[in-house]
Amino acid sequence: MSPRLRHCLPHFVMLLVSIALYRAALQIDTGATAGVERIGPDFWPKAVIVFMGALALFETVRRALFGVAAARAPQAGTMMPDAAVDSKVHDVNAPAQTGAAAAGAEYPRLLLAGIALIVGYVVAVDRLGFFVTTFLFLMCFIRIGGYRRHALNALVSLSGSLLMVLLFMRVAYISLPLGAGPFRDLSIALLNLLGVR
Amino acid sequence: METLLNLAGGLAAHLVPANLLAMAVGLVLGMLVAVLPGLTLVMGVVLALPFTYKMGVEAALILLTAMYVSGTYAGAITAILFRIPGEPMDVPLLWDGHAMTRRGEAAQALGWSLAGAFVGGLISAILMVALAKPVATLALKFSSPEFFAVVFFGLASVVALSGRSVVNALISLCIGLFLATVGIDTIYGAERFAFGQPFLLDGVEFLLVMVGAYGIGEVLIRLNTGFKGESVQGDGVARFRTAVPSLREMWRLKWTFLRGTGTGIVVGVVPGAGATVSAFVAYGMESQYGKNGKALGSGVPEGIVAAKSAATASVGGALVPLLAMGIPGSGATAIILAAFLLHGIQPGPQVFVNSPALVNVVFAAVFIALVGMCVLGYFAIKPLCKVLDAPEAIVSAFVVLFCFVGAFAARNNLSDLYVIAAFGVIGFLFERFDFPVAPMVLGTILGPLAESNFMTTMVSFGGDWTVFFTRPISGAVMALAFVGLAFPLLKALAQRLRSPKAAPPEPS
Repeated sequence: MSPRLRHCLPHFVMLLVSIALYRAALQIDTGATAGVERIGPDFWPKAVIVFMGALALFETVRRALFGVAAARAPQAGTMMPDAAVDSKVHDVNAPAQTGAAAAGAEYPRLLLAGIALIVGYVVAVDRLGFFVTTFLFLMCFIRIGGYRRHALNALVSLSGSLLMVLLFMRVAYISLPLGAGPFRDLSIALLNLLGVR
Repeated sequence: METLLNLAGGLAAHLVPANLLAMAVGLVLGMLVAVLPGLTLVMGVVLALPFTYKMGVEAALILLTAMYVSGTYAGAITAILFRIPGEPMDVPLLWDGHAMTRRGEAAQALGWSLAGAFVGGLISAILMVALAKPVATLALKFSSPEFFAVVFFGLASVVALSGRSVVNALISLCIGLFLATVGIDTIYGAERFAFGQPFLLDGVEFLLVMVGAYGIGEVLIRLNTGFKGESVQGDGVARFRTAVPSLREMWRLKWTFLRGTGTGIVVGVVPGAGATVSAFVAYGMESQYGKNGKALGSGVPEGIVAAKSAATASVGGALVPLLAMGIPGSGATAIILAAFLLHGIQPGPQVFVNSPALVNVVFAAVFIALVGMCVLGYFAIKPLCKVLDAPEAIVSAFVVLFCFVGAFAARNNLSDLYVIAAFGVIGFLFERFDFPVAPMVLGTILGPLAESNFMTTMVSFGGDWTVFFTRPISGAVMALAFVGLAFPLLKALAQRLRSPKAAPPEPS
């Protein structure tokens, strides 16, 4: 894919999303304002979506016509440290503290593995219960995060999971999933052991 | 006198054990998130928010306010000692603070930082108490066009101050405003964008958007660039201490204190600006107008005092529009606004009428948190620096878990976990493609307020949209909002005209 197309893509996708959302907005029931000269429940979302679509179209065209230069040119709203506004900043002149991060390297496989773990947690927690899923998630996430001390990782994951069960279910009274089948039995046994009623 | 009595009432509320505990926990958590790698102050406050559900409203607000105040300080310690800015607002401290450390004056640098934070915070807190009620009294005279104009101004300011591209920021804002429309419409009861999913009928909780985009999104961003494996701190932490400057030394820098504090308050009041912008603007002003301005960057106290007093002063500044008009002045106050809403209280002029005690509790919390911040900041340098030993992979894994448990705590609904994970990925994609997250989050929070005031105005004034521009107050505020939006565009245009060769060449 050419750089120009790649730079257009996010806004083109936003344009398509806007069109799809506008179509969905057409389904809003406006019966309450039928026959009355009054704006209905569809007005505000439609206005927002149309504005969003217009912006996406404008930026797509701008980037298509002017390419990467348009994307990089000084633009409105530039505050002093761009990166500093939303995320934590590490001084680029600092001694190499973050290794790859300082070099600007990216790890898409790590990212995909992280996303897969997060989605996996969401899918599994109802079946495996909070304790088991949390233990497995912590172990795997810390491992893919680059932490190499496996025994310590297991210890941190186990104690962390137990601590979270204790903290949230016993102290904060938050109802967390117990799981299904044998995992439910395990969760209940653990809760009894920890004195959680 | 009445104000002082009310403030005393707020202070007395802190004697309740639960509130006192909330204050202590908030102070410690604020310091920890400001120091911990992989956690920002806003993210930390977001993570704490769901756990305030089960608390009383006073304890919840005390905890979040204490986190907000103490979180504006602790990052200075690691910036000065280890050249690791705990928060974006601490970046200016690298230039003078760390330079002083390299000269063997770390204790003095930490002392100036503490003095700057305390003086800036104290003056802004006093002004906050003095200004909030008059502003709220003025706001009581507002009707729906004025409220819409104020909300519009808040949203426009956030857009103008967010990231490199106004277009991207506006798109992000539109996404937030759209998300706020999902579910059952409150005026007509019409179903909007539920797509046949029952859980969407209740709407998309702004809490899920915030926690997902800030919490999980930030973890994914850092995972993509590789976590730090082990400790980042150097050795010799034990020798660090804080040497607070004498009153005479502080008096010598009185104009620096005043410039920094004034800048922090003014910038803090502007919706969306917050501590980071305050610190950078104050540093810039000091270098331009300070007596010792030319020496800034070489390790002089003026650079530390300007940035730190402004960052802490922005707290009081940002709380004024939040309490008086319901418009958050910074990322962290947006979360405090969410805490109010979660407990069924809408900040704004009415809160001074209906829940004045609560406002005084927040005021008092700022004062107490300032003192607590200084005490902790003075005595807790060693344990705070030890926190840097925590490997980022472990911290991040627990951040994700806290996000999930936060979602459970909110509605006890498994569907929310999917929503939060989705917004985590969206948060990452936003960062990746240079869309700022803040406007989306603020759009989700303020969207319902904007829509209801807009619709009420349209119904009350027979669909005449010009009313927003013809009424004096709403017209003036709308004009300010448009100026705020246009200013960066004009500035960028002027920059391009001045340096036509600035733009890089076209790709081949």
